[in-house]
Amino acid sequence: MIKKSTFLLAALCSVVSIAQTYNVDLPNVSAVAVTNPVGLPQHSASVTVVRGPYLQSGTPTSVVVKWRTDIPTQSVVHYGKTLKSLSKKASNSALTTEHEVALSGLFPDTKYYFNVGNKSEVLSKSDSGEMYIITPPTAGTKQFVRAWILGDAGTANNNQREVRDAYYDYVEDAPQNKGKTDMMLFLGDNAYGSGTDEQYQNALFDIYDDMLKKSVAWSCLGNHDGKSADSATQSGPYYDIFTFPTNAQAGGTASGTEAYYSFDYANIHFIILDSHHTSRAVGGAMYNWTKADIQNTKQDWIVTLFHHPIYTKGSHDSDTEDRLIEMRQNFMPMMEANGVDLILNGHSHSYERSFFLNGHYGFAHTFNPDEISEGGHTVGENGHGDGKVDSNGAYQKTSAAAEGAVYITTGSAGKISGGDLNHQAMSVSLNQLGSCVMEVEDDGRGGQNLTVKFIRENDDIEDYFTINKSGIALKADSTASGLISGGLIYDANKGEVKLKVDKNDRLKKVNIYNNIGELVKKSRKESINVGKLPKGLYIIEVITKNKGYTESITIE
Amino acid sequence: MIFNKKGYLHFMFKRTLLILLFLLLSMPMLAHGDLTIRIAEKTIEISEDPNNFELYYQRGLLYQQHMEFDYALEDYLKSQFLGNTNKALHYQIAEVHFLTAAYTEALQSIEWYLELDSKDLSAKKLQAQILFQLQSHKKSLEGYRYVIHNMKDIRPEDVLEYCNIILAENNKNYKGALEAVEYGLDQLGPHTISLQLKKLDYLKDSGQTEKVLEQYNYFILEYNRNEFWYYKKAKYLTEINRPHEAFISLKLASVAIEQLNAKFKNMSPVIELKEQIKSLESSINNQKS
Repeated sequence: MIKKSTFLLAALCSVVSIAQTYNVDLPNVSAVAVTNPVGLPQHSASVTVVRGPYLQSGTPTSVVVKWRTDIPTQSVVHYGKTLKSLSKKASNSALTTEHEVALSGLFPDTKYYFNVGNKSEVLSKSDSGEMYIITPPTAGTKQFVRAWILGDAGTANNNQREVRDAYYDYVEDAPQNKGKTDMMLFLGDNAYGSGTDEQYQNALFDIYDDMLKKSVAWSCLGNHDGKSADSATQSGPYYDIFTFPTNAQAGGTASGTEAYYSFDYANIHFIILDSHHTSRAVGGAMYNWTKADIQNTKQDWIVTLFHHPIYTKGSHDSDTEDRLIEMRQNFMPMMEANGVDLILNGHSHSYERSFFLNGHYGFAHTFNPDEISEGGHTVGENGHGDGKVDSNGAYQKTSAAAEGAVYITTGSAGKISGGDLNHQAMSVSLNQLGSCVMEVEDDGRGGQNLTVKFIRENDDIEDYFTINKSGIALKADSTASGLISGGLIYDANKGEVKLKVDKNDRLKKVNIYNNIGELVKKSRKESINVGKLPKGLYIIEVITKNKGYTESITIE
Repeated sequence: MIFNKKGYLHFMFKRTLLILLFLLLSMPMLAHGDLTIRIAEKTIEISEDPNNFELYYQRGLLYQQHMEFDYALEDYLKSQFLGNTNKALHYQIAEVHFLTAAYTEALQSIEWYLELDSKDLSAKKLQAQILFQLQSHKKSLEGYRYVIHNMKDIRPEDVLEYCNIILAENNKNYKGALEAVEYGLDQLGPHTISLQLKKLDYLKDSGQTEKVLEQYNYFILEYNRNEFWYYKKAKYLTEINRPHEAFISLKLASVAIEQLNAKFKNMSPVIELKEQIKSLESSINNQKS
């Protein structure tokens, strides 16, 4: 038998590099711990909060607070702008263990402290002020934003804890905006092995409890989440645990489903796709929604996340696996054409980060490092560089350019599984544990930098890059009030349009159409009162003896 | 004790080698990462307990996830042969048959399942999908109607599939299809884009001109960016021979583009749109002259 075994071992060593380390670090579901808020005072209530509270679906004016109790009770959230005065209340009197309370009428970019409980008592609070909501600013606002990105985190083991702690260290020591995490972005596979409720308790709530109380968590569906969740019926733990906007409550376009959705945060538009259960076909419901959504945003940055990676040679292979190929070939041409900046994926348990790319939809070996103008797949002079400000320089994307995006496969927040890690489109490929942080901030020159850092479990920042977008503050030419064109003057103060007609010509008629093309006013005069017309875009059709032409005005 | 430990280590060594050997041999074929490993592990478990129907069932599920449908079916049938009478097995067999276009067999399996659980909505949905493939549209429609009206959380995809069956059953029943869309909008939210888009298609296909224009106006008024909608409306107006309205809509499209930030103006879909506007405009002008 020893001889046989030795032969087998020799055969293995001599052939392929099965150097992938596969750690079956499944959580011990029999040892589910009841969550006790870390650092929060204990109370002797008969009802105990066993999960959360945690924050969902944050918008500039609302947020959903969820938590679980051990026995059914009412749901009450007290909140306010100062910790000592939680004077506002939102509640639901129905008895339940699964509590979900929407707070509305909030002010944008404002901090609210809160506690949760029932009609008779507070069940979970933080005397030190570690339970709070900071509402997003109004969409379009240009300000510092930090997102914590976690891919395939859900092992519930020490790897996951070390990765978490490294980020906590990073954010506590951050040179600016210390302690600020605007959102958590989960890239799926949040709870191994099947995304059951118990596994979610172990791998999400027990691990990130502190952060979930003060930062809104967003997620896409991973294949392991998909084992217990059914997207066809939107049921199962994943869909029960998370509450995502289906009707564009947080910006974007209504998808009608929590499987894929979008939201705005400051001047960033986030598009979350389901690469696992939902059809990835061109012309399918998710594709149509994505196209409508991305072509409807006016945000400065577009970030998308879904589980299956566009490019990877880690524990999965984007050259051979159908979901990965379909997302790359079906979705990316459309999303790149419409200006996507950053693509975040998981699935492979490694960190692989691309150059600054456009138009690479084939297999790894077809990657051409040349610039797109020379038939290649990289964008800009340093698109094939490392993207580091202090090395080859930041990737450059002017406000007038749509091309150029960085693809990150970051699925090592809970375990590493090796792989060849040699995808040609990748600038960096690492078999290391870690999570990413994305920070968007002013560049001091009227533009913004989007920087992503890969923070290892040992606190090292192993990779980083920056996309610089110039001229973000510049807006399009306005055709609003005060417009003077060749044939027309619009005086907004008087609410009057004056036409300029040549001496040798004669005005015959003027038709004014509103923003849906309806004829709303007719005139034969050169001076027309438009003061009573509602706000909006108008087309003015002028017909003279010699010619016909159109002008436009926007009444504001 | 020492002997036991030694024996255990030997057992684990042998087991690990077998898994690695399986992986080595199957690597080119099975490239789905940890799924490959789990299939390998299950194969080892089966080799150690070859009459355990549950293990075959579990490996069948893994093969199915891996889209190795023939292997999945083989395992499910073996599991059944070994005595597995669980209703879930019937469902999986039906699903694999469905995925491999063996619709008659799929129908038989799902009907066995439904004999055990006649109200399971996933099974009813699969049955309706199978019946649809078997051209039994009327029965398919009845089944899907039940699913749509009883499922707690329908998705846009479900409504679209339901509409498709409605029109397969009677290709003139746009009234029914539009009612289904409205039901979907009512359930999922009034702005669910994939349903609003389908509504537009059905209104066009059924020749409801004024309602089509209302639907275009809905998109124009509802969305932040409306350059594409203005163009699409203009194109439709041209098709129904209303060139002047089309001309105004094209003007609105051009102004909407002008009002965009430079970044959006330079995106290839917008550049293409400008060309399309120009082309349609000249075609309208040619019509006029």
